[in-house]
Amino acid sequence: MYSTELVVQTFISGIMIGVLYALMALGITFIYSIMRMINWAMGEFYMIGSYLQYMLVAWLLGPDLWWLAIVVSTAGVFVLGLLTQWSLLKPIFKKPPEARDDYATVVTLALLLMLRSLATGIAGPNQFTPGSNLPIVMVGPMPLAGARVAAFVFALVALAAFWAVLRYTWYGLALRAASQSRVGVQTAGIDVLRVDRVAFGIGVALAGLAGALLAPVFLVFPTNGLITTVKGFEIVVIGGLGSIPGALIAGVLLGLIESFGAAFVDSAYQNIYGFALVLLVLVLKPTGLFGERGREA
Amino acid sequence: MAAALEAIGLRKRFGALQAANDVTLSVDAGEIRGLIGPNGAGKTTLVNLVTGVYRPDAGEVKLAGQSIGGLAMHEIARRGLVRSFQVTRLFGGLTVRENLLTAFYARRPSANDDGEAQAERMIRLTTLGPLADTQAKKLSGGQRALLQMGCGFMVPGSCYVLDEPFAGINPVIKEVILDMIVEMNREQGAAFLVVSHEMAIIRKLCPQVTVMMEGRVAAQGTLDEVARLPAVVAGYLGKALE
Repeated sequence: MYSTELVVQTFISGIMIGVLYALMALGITFIYSIMRMINWAMGEFYMIGSYLQYMLVAWLLGPDLWWLAIVVSTAGVFVLGLLTQWSLLKPIFKKPPEARDDYATVVTLALLLMLRSLATGIAGPNQFTPGSNLPIVMVGPMPLAGARVAAFVFALVALAAFWAVLRYTWYGLALRAASQSRVGVQTAGIDVLRVDRVAFGIGVALAGLAGALLAPVFLVFPTNGLITTVKGFEIVVIGGLGSIPGALIAGVLLGLIESFGAAFVDSAYQNIYGFALVLLVLVLKPTGLFGERGREA
Repeated sequence: MAAALEAIGLRKRFGALQAANDVTLSVDAGEIRGLIGPNGAGKTTLVNLVTGVYRPDAGEVKLAGQSIGGLAMHEIARRGLVRSFQVTRLFGGLTVRENLLTAFYARRPSANDDGEAQAERMIRLTTLGPLADTQAKKLSGGQRALLQMGCGFMVPGSCYVLDEPFAGINPVIKEVILDMIVEMNREQGAAFLVVSHEMAIIRKLCPQVTVMMEGRVAAQGTLDEVARLPAVVAGYLGKALE
């Protein structure tokens, strides 16, 4: 039958890709938990992260400094997120909350189309790949692509940093408080629009980080954010919208299911296994694994 | 000395309803003033107008003599006008201690370490010690009201607007909240505007009350004075107060 090695390798690659999917889902869920809106242009921030990574590695820093390029790309997307909130979203959020998320949907969908067209216009429909000279890494008897291992390790570090900021800093406390009650933080004396700005910046930076990390694996082209965004939303549905542990656990779960499905059933249907899981979760627990039905105002 | 809080000619209309109609009211420095009136009289609307939740259609709000009209809610809070909500607005997923710390750092972000010490003090004062590391959403209604009070007192404010702090709360916790208000008033000289239907508490706490009816200020004076006014008795549907 199947060798143990194949099972172990499938398991490892599932977890590795799952953590990267989780970055994307975490970004979506984090922005939602604070701003109560879905950022539909998430994949475009992923795309921008991957282009930044390509340009930095190909033109400026070279493949040896890939890690620095990742940090700079992520920071670049973070700044872009701050600017997006300030210019496009803040004006909506200044108004009373009626239909706010509807406006936000329209604005972020328009942003999606604009950024995608911009990328096509500037870089053309070509595929790029940032060179990677990372060696193959042996885990036991298993060879793993260096770029994938590096992406996995980087993602873990980023997740740990994200968690530490939320848990141990004053700003993390403000972010967590804002996710519980927007009126509450304003009454306490916190400028909720500034919290939004930081939250949006961090959320899209997580997508940009995923884009930069996956650039050598999934390549760089104008619509490369699409698949990862779909996976991000699958994870958010599985884990429960607004739940951070849900995003992490569901991300790894999705990675594992895809990986095992591809290895042991049929790799042609890799993108379908996740949907099967989504349907299953929706039947059994419509709020997602960690979702809450309602929240206190 | 300027009044701690002044509302001057406030008006607010919601559709056909004139919820605040030329409301003028002032709370002196160090005063604990009661705000009473039948349901729908516009008390909460007034609270929302002075704390920046609603923009008034006309009129002005002054905090310690300075106009705060047009400021956002968080800016008003930072200037020392602290409010509590009838339906508590706590951070349900955060612990009691984290709720207190949020209130502390929100108004004093460049602080040294005394947030922790102040949180300890407030946990003692609110008698919530055993629940300090419990999530706020697991607290009872009375405990939430206590915590909300504690959050308001984490950084001394100059004026507190409390919307129904005693509604639906058991007598023991009522007493604790009452003591906290009196202590903050005595110790910090903080002014209070207390909205309540609990006449016994209002009588104990507030030398002066303002009565609102149908969006207007109907009377001011001691509770016993206003309770005798025919208009006030009629406004409470013919019931004498209490």
